[in-house]
Amino acid sequence: MVMIVQPEPSTLAHYAVTAGNIPPIATQIYEGLVTYDWDQNPQPNLATSWEIAPDGKSISFKLREGVVFHNGKPFTSADVQFSFMEILKKYHPFAPLLLAELTGVDTPDEKTAVLLLANPAPYLMKALAGRDLPIMCKSVFEGTQILQNPSANKPIGTGPFKFGQWDRGQFVRLDRNEKYWKPGLPYLDHIIARFIPDAATRSAALETGEAHFAGYSAVNYADLARMKTNPMLDTTMKGYEMTPALSVLELNAKHPPLDKKEVRQAIAYAIDRKVILRDVMYGYGKPATGPLSSLFKTVGFYTDDVRKYDVPDRLDIANKLLDGAGLPRGANGMRFGMHLEVNSFGEQWLRQAEYLKQALAIVGIDLTLRSEDTATWLRRVYTDYDYDINEPFLSQGVDPVYGLNKQYLTSQIRKGVTFVNDSFYANPEFDGILNEAMREPDHDKRAVLYKKAQQILAEDCPLVWLIDVQYVSVFNRKLRDHTTGPLGTQQAFERAWLET
Amino acid sequence: MRFARYMGYRLVTALPVIFGIIVLNFLLIHLAPGDAASVLAGESGAATPEYMDALRHKFGLDQSLGMQFLTYVSNMAHFNLGYSYRNDADVSSLIFERLGPTSLLMLTAFGTAVALGIILGLVAATGRNSWRDNIISLISLVAYATPGFWLGLMMIVIFSIGLGCLPTSGFDTVGAGHEGWAEVWDVARHLVMPAVSLALFYLALYARLMRASVLEQTGMDYATTARAKGQTERRIMTGHVLRNALLPIVTIAGVQAGNLIGGSIVVETVFGWPGIGTLAFNALQSRDLNLLLAIFFMSACLIVVINLAVDVIYVMLDPRMEI
Repeated sequence: MVMIVQPEPSTLAHYAVTAGNIPPIATQIYEGLVTYDWDQNPQPNLATSWEIAPDGKSISFKLREGVVFHNGKPFTSADVQFSFMEILKKYHPFAPLLLAELTGVDTPDEKTAVLLLANPAPYLMKALAGRDLPIMCKSVFEGTQILQNPSANKPIGTGPFKFGQWDRGQFVRLDRNEKYWKPGLPYLDHIIARFIPDAATRSAALETGEAHFAGYSAVNYADLARMKTNPMLDTTMKGYEMTPALSVLELNAKHPPLDKKEVRQAIAYAIDRKVILRDVMYGYGKPATGPLSSLFKTVGFYTDDVRKYDVPDRLDIANKLLDGAGLPRGANGMRFGMHLEVNSFGEQWLRQAEYLKQALAIVGIDLTLRSEDTATWLRRVYTDYDYDINEPFLSQGVDPVYGLNKQYLTSQIRKGVTFVNDSFYANPEFDGILNEAMREPDHDKRAVLYKKAQQILAEDCPLVWLIDVQYVSVFNRKLRDHTTGPLGTQQAFERAWLET
Repeated sequence: MRFARYMGYRLVTALPVIFGIIVLNFLLIHLAPGDAASVLAGESGAATPEYMDALRHKFGLDQSLGMQFLTYVSNMAHFNLGYSYRNDADVSSLIFERLGPTSLLMLTAFGTAVALGIILGLVAATGRNSWRDNIISLISLVAYATPGFWLGLMMIVIFSIGLGCLPTSGFDTVGAGHEGWAEVWDVARHLVMPAVSLALFYLALYARLMRASVLEQTGMDYATTARAKGQTERRIMTGHVLRNALLPIVTIAGVQAGNLIGGSIVVETVFGWPGIGTLAFNALQSRDLNLLLAIFFMSACLIVVINLAVDVIYVMLDPRMEI
């Protein structure tokens, strides 16, 4: 089976780098303690059962018997302890969010691991899949420099496929794990992840049958209409239920007049999200209503009961707000000028920026687009704070804790750190709600808190939320059973098979 | 003996040039804003200041520029190209595994272009304003003006999707496990389209250059003299004109050959060819300085060697020149 991964990962050190192009390969090799069903309930994987203590401060996992790593070492609680405490807690980029409360891992016996928490961490049960918190083999890493470990690019895990070969610039080959703990699985002998830098050639490789699967929107949205007419190919939007993401505008509240709430709201009103959806995203996605992706509806955290910006008289409101903020139109019809930093991660962001320039000109805001390469852009926005409006794309993780905390908490104004609170939003009441929701073990109480949080944010409008992103997979009809859960491309293809 | 002394002299004088290039590259690269740690953290979507400090420490970016430079020069003096932290691999192995495919593609395309270009230019010049001159001129004009990536994509549409006779991209069929001649055939099939789309541009260039050069030389006094002596046109062409007409070709080919190791980003991207061009481009994008400097260094060395080779070829073609 040949799948297309775009772009080529720079490393397979899944435990220390969380770029989105690593999991499609790494999750074939590394597994997590649990996996998730379509309703996003945890299901047994490396752990067969678990119990959360009544006070929420520890989670005890019974581990599966008879699991061996690809190097032949048996899987025990020592591996869980080492993975969490020595690797993930220290080096995983999300550890400060997901594992902040983790104080230790007890191993009463070889097949029991107990995660000890300083405070309840209800979000942790959503993040135990191989994609988010993978389990590594202790003996591979012990006594070495974790970040320089040779297994970074020759990963050793417990998953259905073993690492075979990596020809840089071309492909990674994964081989069937004969000793996989699920009897009879996997079905495929090999998975080949190919890297084709050019979007048109990627589409061509699918059309000729050279490749069977391209997930995570590796195919240009513009090509999808053509793909759908090909009888050999099909598309699906399933398998991204646990991969919520929003495209947004970050507004630098240190740069007047963006310090005024009315001005920020006016920008939110001025933009027609349906145009972006139609012309930039080719119809894939939904207009965003607030700071959380609507994918959180499944688990009950999403609400659209917030200040709505997509209303029929939105332009009038925007103009009134700007007039009220003391920003009259000048001789050329413009009220003030701003720079928009164009996202460097692809051509669609330039198209979006071009639309934004048009849309904001209508209400009298004169945007100047600035395109720079990735390193320069990130430095300007997150280190130098030398920007007015920025158009990033924000992953929201598996729980609101992830997307909301790092973007809006006052404590997340951290110079030099990318994709955190760079709009200088600081609201003590909101911080309090978020911190309470983070530690609240009761699901319904959390939902109430997050609803309140979304309403506050939508009112304060520190960011402008544009599109609730929908990824698409394109696949050859001969490939069956490829998307078997909400993690989709980011979980193992253990049941996939190719019709001959 | 004189030749050996000359070569020795040229190689010794090349050393300061290469050292200068290293210094200049190093300084220029450090002028670019942003660093590898921020790009890596950016791709990860989140990071703590501690994580980024750890990265910077690991990459050696927390040291002063002077220290970084000393470390780099001392590594180079030991023929150690360094380590690419972004790719978790040795720079030398990263470059080395791309060197084969890059040379194969570039030499095939360049060799074809120079050889065919010379022949076509000659054919066009000898039949000036005839139908074959017009056809060759027209073709070379079109080839010169066509962007390589467009040609590449059109070939994929025609030969891969339409006719299904050539693979769209890659270096060989992954996982097919071909051996011996089967592998050679497989690589050749993958090579055709990238090589053609790259060669056409150069081909047009050399054909036009050769035509102009031959026409200029045939009008020179020495050609008239030879004709007055009663030599046949064929003999004048092969014995006198050709040698002189080749000199500008060698000059231009020498300049362009220096770019060979850089590969072609456009063609490599369209055809997913694992070349050095895309490696360098990605290294620049991600501020992978060790890797980028090593590629610059290799290019610099190649250019020095090629300049030397061009000078030697001049002497072989034109006895009036001396070393």
